[in-house]
Amino acid sequence: MAGKKKWYIKLFIIVALVMGALFAAFPVLWMLLSSFKPNAEIFAWPPTWISENFSFDAYAAIFTNPEQVRFFLNSYFVAMVVVVLSLVVGILASYSFSRFNFPGKSLINTLIVSVQAVPPITLLIPYLSLIVTLKLYNTYWALILTYLLFTLPYAILMITGYLNTLPKDLDEAVMIDGGSRWQALWRVLVPTAVPGLVSVGMYTFMQAWNEYLFALALTKTNDMRTVPVGINLLMGQHAYEWNQMMAMSVLGSLPVLLLFLFFQRYFIAGMTAGAVKN
Amino acid sequence: MKLKTILKKGISVLAAGSMIFALTACGGGSSSDETSDESTGTDSADTESTSTDDSGGSGEGVTLEFQQWWGVELPEGFLDEICQDFTDETGINIELLSNPYADTKTQIAAGAASGTMADVVGLDGSWVYDFAKQGSIANLTELMETSGYDDSQLSDQVQFEGNTYMIPVVNFAYPMYVNMDILNEAGVTEVPKTRSEFLEVAKKVTNPDENVSAFAIPLSTESPSGIQNNFMSWLWASGGSMLKDGQPNLTDNEDMTATVDFIKQLYDENLMIAGTYAMEEADMVEEFTNGRVAFMIDSLAHLLTIQEGAPDMNIAFMKVPVQDGYTGESGMDVANWGIGIAENCEYKEEAIQFVEYLMSPEVNAKLAVAANAFPGNVNAEPDYADADQLFMDAYELFQESYAINEFTGLPTSEELMRSFDEQLQLYLDGDTASAEDMLSETQTIWEEAFQ
Amino acid sequence: MRAKKVSNFKKKSTPYLYLLPTIILMFLLLIIPIGMVVGYSFFDNVIINDNPKFVGLQNYIEILQDKTFLIAVKNTLYFVGVSVAAHLLLGVAFAMLLNTRYLGTKTKALFRVLYVLPWMFTASVIAILWKMMLNPSGIVNYLLEVLRLSGNQIEWLGSRQFALLSVTFINIWSGYPFYMISILAGLQGISTDLYEASSLDGANSIQQFFRITIPQLKPILISLIMLDFVWTIQQFALIWMTTGGGPINATEMLSTYIYKQGFSKYQYSMASASACIVLVVCTIIAVFYVRHQKARD
Repeated sequence: MAGKKKWYIKLFIIVALVMGALFAAFPVLWMLLSSFKPNAEIFAWPPTWISENFSFDAYAAIFTNPEQVRFFLNSYFVAMVVVVLSLVVGILASYSFSRFNFPGKSLINTLIVSVQAVPPITLLIPYLSLIVTLKLYNTYWALILTYLLFTLPYAILMITGYLNTLPKDLDEAVMIDGGSRWQALWRVLVPTAVPGLVSVGMYTFMQAWNEYLFALALTKTNDMRTVPVGINLLMGQHAYEWNQMMAMSVLGSLPVLLLFLFFQRYFIAGMTAGAVKN
Repeated sequence: MKLKTILKKGISVLAAGSMIFALTACGGGSSSDETSDESTGTDSADTESTSTDDSGGSGEGVTLEFQQWWGVELPEGFLDEICQDFTDETGINIELLSNPYADTKTQIAAGAASGTMADVVGLDGSWVYDFAKQGSIANLTELMETSGYDDSQLSDQVQFEGNTYMIPVVNFAYPMYVNMDILNEAGVTEVPKTRSEFLEVAKKVTNPDENVSAFAIPLSTESPSGIQNNFMSWLWASGGSMLKDGQPNLTDNEDMTATVDFIKQLYDENLMIAGTYAMEEADMVEEFTNGRVAFMIDSLAHLLTIQEGAPDMNIAFMKVPVQDGYTGESGMDVANWGIGIAENCEYKEEAIQFVEYLMSPEVNAKLAVAANAFPGNVNAEPDYADADQLFMDAYELFQESYAINEFTGLPTSEELMRSFDEQLQLYLDGDTASAEDMLSETQTIWEEAFQ
Repeated sequence: MRAKKVSNFKKKSTPYLYLLPTIILMFLLLIIPIGMVVGYSFFDNVIINDNPKFVGLQNYIEILQDKTFLIAVKNTLYFVGVSVAAHLLLGVAFAMLLNTRYLGTKTKALFRVLYVLPWMFTASVIAILWKMMLNPSGIVNYLLEVLRLSGNQIEWLGSRQFALLSVTFINIWSGYPFYMISILAGLQGISTDLYEASSLDGANSIQQFFRITIPQLKPILISLIMLDFVWTIQQFALIWMTTGGGPINATEMLSTYIYKQGFSKYQYSMASASACIVLVVCTIIAVFYVRHQKARD
């Protein structure tokens, strides 16, 4: 009886998975296929799947253009730094929110969440003026600090949540043994919250990698610009380089994908060791 | 065990990150010349200035920032060469900055407000009024006077309150493209000259089964230039005007009403391709290239792209069909690459020198040929020898018409186009009862902007 | 005595010290610009004119009476509401699927990667890709025709009927991985003991899902919903590049409305005022969230 039931469930799961995968991945597949077509064919009717004029031209154009390559390097660098800083600053702040009660806690908490609510486009001009005054215009720091501001609220919120699921007994265990709060945080809590941290890190990386408006506004010269700006530069007034845009997007997603592949094992069950049994 | 690996990895990432960071920390904002040096044999010894201005400053060592979107649309390295030649002549360096066209306006607005605007900027005609009013761009009339420039050689100057703020460098004409293959298949041998002839031909060539339509008009409200280039072209081709003494004149304007109803007819009889309300100019070009549209009004600059995409297509140019009975001269819509100088530019004398250089007959002619456009200097003699016969056909048509674009220099031009677009959509969809109603509603909206 | 006071101070200031980097960063770099935006909303002729005029609440009154603004509010509510709900459902569903014990690790890993793909791309690319696909002559209509689900060429982004729906769909597609990953991480943190214990008590999977999984995930889910709400209200690039707020306001959102005010009409003060309205709404939500968190502690 149990065996029969399991068979049904497994089939249902597989069907659901496949349908979900189609939903998720079909557009990306289309993007990939389009990057191998010549521009005009991308809009052909009936649409073609694999082009007769299959070519790597779009990719070649990108790889042989040092400016475009620089876009990738810049994006990667900025995103990495933002992830590290977000996690570190975020963990510190979350620890404070999770383990302490202090006057002003609610206020600061509310402020942190609500500052995200200002539409970036209205913030653009005053913020730009501020960055210029601080002499950070057209530097890596401008982008790094800006993205930190965008990702911190999320990081703090989520890490606080993850830390909240870890009982205070864990801290106490360390402190009873003579350790400081700092040690409790970094030796016990952080390692246990790794799945949460990885997901926050991923999100932070994605945010920094994919952001366009401020990347454009805060930089002037192409040696400081990032991949999203690079993609939009391919949209001229009169002609779009459709296949190059698709190619660049595919290439742009690869580092993120690789990171995900690398870190995804931290999502796998087995990290439940942190839950203290009551 | 896992903790150790995590810590190790974390530390190595941090270390790597900070190393790279330290290396590049001082590198932020450095102007890179690595990619733009394609200059051919610079005459570095010759710094003799050949410009005819009287400005005393030697201009040596000054660097001007030139922000534009043109580089992408010109042959690789072309713009760099032009700027390098200028540097060789005058010792003034040009730093080329590029922005995506769609965001240039936002960038200029933000740049003007925060003081980061480039010295010389590429401008579109529809932005001039607002930027001039905001004091973001400089008065070119004064600068040209000081430098002793003869501005009669300029085919056009875009002005605000009597002074020039933008000079069109090259002009892009918008003739009507025809896909002769579609016409021939439908048994049509002659291109229509009047609107009623056009309607007849349109009905013959439209074939829903083959997914072929007669006409396409991009009415996306994101970038409502379709109103300027694809709608008003019909009006201007028949000598009509949307303004009177510089003020909106949409009501009591027979030509205008007739044009609106003409487009409505095309729409109602399904002679236009689907997707109009979300279509942008670039989308329309793709539809044409893929043989789904018979007629389209589009920038001449697209010719090469279309030919590359559809090498077997039999393309022709024609004048936009006129209103029945109209015998006067036709107006042809032009868009342009304009140039202006930032108000907060510190080197205005050098900047105007650069502008005059770009407008000089020889350089202007070269630019025009490279961009598949017409020169902004009346004395320029572009060598279109290598150009397509088709291009020359279009040039002929252009010379038989008068260039017109009434949106240039109007307040909040883009917004005007957008509101006209929205009202037109309402009328096409049947929400508004008549063309007169639609036009009077638009007139009200436009009048507000003119105050 | 003094030592005690010092150590007392140290104890009390600890939480603040941990918060210090955040406070310095955010409040220094954000409060000033936000303050400016709030300030602008009470003036007229800001930024572009050297003589801003103080007009008090006039900008707000004008906006609240603007027909287009009200349409934008309506559309935004639909857009945000449907997006957040769908994100939640898809996120939970996919996370559960990817966490199932019925499949091998390799299979799950493969599907995990496939499911996370929409997240990898920047908004302008997603907008362009979907615009291509939803073109009347695009692949989506083609497939619908081939599968005989539709006879005509549907104007997904070009008609007033479908535009809002299409744009919402694109947003759902591009945003669910965020939920999925966060929930997946959260699922890892639920102790398997709970499931074992309830199995012994005779609970089936459905009961387990609603009695254990959901309650355990609740704190994370609430954070996700709230964040998504705030972020979806800000969504601009996606809508702008697919429909530009059209056709005729069918997809006009608060974000596109604000953009047009600021950069097409050059009415920065109106744009600032609209932004402040959004800010106030989100702050209210944030207050409720924080209260809720406090109550839980």
